[in-house]
Amino acid sequence: MSKFKAIIAAIGLILAPIAAFAEVVVVVHPSVAFDSMSADEVSRLFLGKSKKFPDGSTAFPLNQDEGMTARETFNEKICKKNASQYKAYWSKLVFTGKGTPPKDAGDANAVKALISSNPNMVGYIDSSLVDASVKVVFKLK
Amino acid sequence: MIRNRLKQSVCALALLSCGHSLAHAGDFNFSGFMSIGGGFVDDESARSYAGYAEEDITFDNSLLGIQFSSDIANELTATVQLTARNTDGFKVEAEWAYVSWQATDESTVRIGRLRTPFYMYSDYLDVGYAYPWIAPPNEVYYLPFNNVNGIDLYTTGTLGSFDTTMQVYFGSFTDELNERGVDIEAKTRNQLGFAGTLAKDWWTFRAAYHMAKLSINLEALPDVPELLQTLQGAGFSRNADRFRIDEDDAKFIELGLNIDTGTFVAAAEHVELRFEDETLYADNIRQFVMLGVRTGDWLIHLTASKADDEASNLSQGIPVTPQTAELIAELNAQAAGEANKRDVISLGTRWDITAGTALKFQYSDVDRDGQKRQKVYAFALQTVF
Repeated sequence: MSKFKAIIAAIGLILAPIAAFAEVVVVVHPSVAFDSMSADEVSRLFLGKSKKFPDGSTAFPLNQDEGMTARETFNEKICKKNASQYKAYWSKLVFTGKGTPPKDAGDANAVKALISSNPNMVGYIDSSLVDASVKVVFKLK
Repeated sequence: MIRNRLKQSVCALALLSCGHSLAHAGDFNFSGFMSIGGGFVDDESARSYAGYAEEDITFDNSLLGIQFSSDIANELTATVQLTARNTDGFKVEAEWAYVSWQATDESTVRIGRLRTPFYMYSDYLDVGYAYPWIAPPNEVYYLPFNNVNGIDLYTTGTLGSFDTTMQVYFGSFTDELNERGVDIEAKTRNQLGFAGTLAKDWWTFRAAYHMAKLSINLEALPDVPELLQTLQGAGFSRNADRFRIDEDDAKFIELGLNIDTGTFVAAAEHVELRFEDETLYADNIRQFVMLGVRTGDWLIHLTASKADDEASNLSQGIPVTPQTAELIAELNAQAAGEANKRDVISLGTRWDITAGTALKFQYSDVDRDGQKRQKVYAFALQTVF
């Protein structure tokens, strides 16, 4: 019996992260002139290394709030930083006036609503939320 | 009293738990950092090391910093960073206070009080959360002045597949310096410096060069007035002049490397402070190498640092005779007193409790030339908000 429980628990442990990694996509306003971005371009925008979209227009990256699963996934996979490293990275720039982190805009729905009304904004949301109000330019693998 | 204490703790907690980390509301930004720390040494008869002096544990190595910035017009931002340190009786000081103009996406001009970009970690020297140690290695991070009042140009760019930053500044400072227990005035004029970084993937290379006309009057130091009288009486006024650093050319060179692969971290830095003429002050040659491993929320690091100063030749030009032997010995002792020869090995850990808060421990073995080894134990809780 206890062995059975242990097996169930083990299966649960293996499946949990898969369930948590629902696909996250990077979205912009449907009217923007480009259809895709590279992982590097996305990462440069969100790490403050670049302030422009591939077409040269100004980009305002939006974060989901701290603690959101999509934010953790995005920062790990695109920015290559866990929550602590991400915080340390930005504290190096914030306290020197050399950069401001992407604004925390709320949950995925709040991010989507902002992007659907502003062609300069870019953010990441769960792929299940994508509709005609936003355009997908990058899919996290 | 207790109620008062309680109030203070509640205030501190409120600050700590200020949920919106690195918060920014509209065009007004507020952010802050804090370090609460202390430690003890195993031999308090030795000289204090990096602020740690007692055999009993003390919690005296704390600091609080807050930063406000506000957009004052298009592309114009005003920023003030105030810090208060335990070691200064929590006297509030402005480390940064400047107006910046974002000239283009890649370049910013700042005017006001800036942090002098001497070192790799200069910009966020007080923000312990941003680096592995409780404080960067004392052998290299020893300069008493970290600020300059002036103007700078900061640019970011790319060079092939490298990310680059460049900072050029011009300015000056005037400050009090405590030397051997005496407060003396120190100032730089025509201070000009350059710092550049080249980064790719997980490594960053940095180089900096600074020059200034430095003035520090050392004639009031203990025992020095008598020595100067003797020198002048014996006709060696040129040697006496070396105690008056008056618009002497000084230069500071830095080379640094930082590596962070996520799992492995490493950093190395070499600095040299050199004076054009012989003065009481030694030429400082300092360096450190750090290697570390990160696993989960833990970082373990080992650092070797070294101070290998070159004492100046204060007695240069005095003929060696039995009559001058004592004077020469006294001058050499004065010069040697300003030259640090020290090797330090330290082992430290950093535990990221949550995103924004880290607890650090550090053990250092301090080996001063010709003296008994000293062990220093330190801890700190460091946070950004």
